[in-house]
Amino acid sequence: MKIVIVGNSVAAINAIEAIREKDKISSITVVSDENYRAYSHPLLPNLVIGEVSRSEDRFYYRRPGFYEESKVNAILGKSVIKVNPKNKNIELNNSEKVEYDKLLLACGGKPAKPLIDGLELEGVHTLTNIKGADKLRKDLKNINHCVVVGAGLIGSKIAEKLAKKRVKVTLVELARRVLFPVLDDKGADFIHSELKGLGINLILNDSVKALGGSNRVEQVILNSGKKINADGVVVAVGVSPNIDLAKDAGLKVDKGVVVNDYMQTSDESIYAAGDVAQAYDIVYGAKRPIPILPLAAKQGRISALNILGMDVKYKGGFPMNSITIGGTSFISMGVVDSDNLEVLSFERDGEYRKFLIDEDNRLKGMILVNNIEKAGIFNWMIQNKFDVSWIKDVFLNSDFGWKYFNKAFRVLRLDRKIK
Amino acid sequence: MKTVKIREDNCIFCHLCEVACIVEHSQSKDIIKAFKREEKPIARCTVEFNYPVSLSVMCRHCDDAPCIEACQNGSMHRDDRGYVVVDSDTCVGCWMCIMACPYGVIKRDTRREMWGLSTKCDFCPDREIPACVEACPNEALTLEEL
Repeated sequence: MKIVIVGNSVAAINAIEAIREKDKISSITVVSDENYRAYSHPLLPNLVIGEVSRSEDRFYYRRPGFYEESKVNAILGKSVIKVNPKNKNIELNNSEKVEYDKLLLACGGKPAKPLIDGLELEGVHTLTNIKGADKLRKDLKNINHCVVVGAGLIGSKIAEKLAKKRVKVTLVELARRVLFPVLDDKGADFIHSELKGLGINLILNDSVKALGGSNRVEQVILNSGKKINADGVVVAVGVSPNIDLAKDAGLKVDKGVVVNDYMQTSDESIYAAGDVAQAYDIVYGAKRPIPILPLAAKQGRISALNILGMDVKYKGGFPMNSITIGGTSFISMGVVDSDNLEVLSFERDGEYRKFLIDEDNRLKGMILVNNIEKAGIFNWMIQNKFDVSWIKDVFLNSDFGWKYFNKAFRVLRLDRKIK
Repeated sequence: MKTVKIREDNCIFCHLCEVACIVEHSQSKDIIKAFKREEKPIARCTVEFNYPVSLSVMCRHCDDAPCIEACQNGSMHRDDRGYVVVDSDTCVGCWMCIMACPYGVIKRDTRREMWGLSTKCDFCPDREIPACVEACPNEALTLEEL
């Protein structure tokens, strides 16, 4: 069988690994417009300020030799311009055609472009790939004051890193708090103080209207009318799935490429996985793209097993994040703020715990700030729609652990008898 | 593949498994030096107590380890023996493995200058029987096929 994968990051690599565990014979071709082996996207902010370099193994997703050992034909530095489902081939930008029996779209996302005048000015950056990170890194010597637009994961992280590099940073966020979808007000306050402690000028409830300057950006104009003199801008208002290829090929797309429970698109020979895919969210109860690394890995794996005809169902996922800013680490997952759910919360001595439970006693979401080591147990409960009625009383205990569970359940779980 | 079986009824809350784990993962593998002179390793097993319950918990070495799936740069991986281990040279301490671990048995070591380090049971690669199992005086931890 000829398997072709568009994209070369987390979903693609996990697909390759799953295929090679079961099938040593089929040919695997990977096509990516980036001319590097798969790397760790979360480390891009660290790359910008030189905390990690491209010569270090830790920057990469797999060790050198991965492609050779997995017998993958990697076509790097070429982009796919067209998918032809009828003829079962893809066209590259050098007009080469590659035929497939099964195709996996794992082409990720691209930075969302906000409606801001002046984005074409010099000194304006995005940070979703190596190219963007390199450009920003080389431009750092020209930047004294950087405005970061959007306090999401990338925005908050790059603001922190730039401030560490003694660049003056202003972080502008449209919402009333940073990291809006992954923290509630109280949780975000921990991060607000960390950012302010690093000397970052935090502007909430405001957004950027225009960038001014003749050649290079000189001024950032906010919707409130405020003007900030700045010689660098990082636009980090989120990523959106790269659906163009799928759309042009006539596949069913919505916000992302729509897939069924087997990660299969509307064409039975084409699968999609990772940030590009719109798969089931168990907490939300509908399909939507969830652009996070662990789900890209899982979906990549499952799509590959289905490409091999193994009928493995994707049970669904939900958003989850683990972030450290300054001295504060937090992990949150699922729904983090709601008026319709039972809320348990506790805050003391720099620790914050919050749990959201529905009327059927299923955990729907949680936030742990600073005391995070047991977070995965809650992840398991959300994933498995576990009845928490008999255990939720101890969720707020700082020393939450196995000792609080019902004995029979605990023994079976720790013996790996309940998965 | 053998794993450490936890027999909580036998546990006497003595913490010897933690001591043995710390010594095994220390530089010198000497108990006095490990506790007094060197940087003390973090125990990979944790003894929990809630009267009358006590038990030692450590990595279950899952077949479909979610921590490996969640790792951002391949540091969490399966070694040649089949056990789930961290490559300390490349771990960046993002704690995504902690977010994923269904048993809550990965700990944070934040003492390195630059990168945090995920710390978990590595099934004692230098030993035939893991140190915690050998140290347990009452067979509350045994080596078995699970």
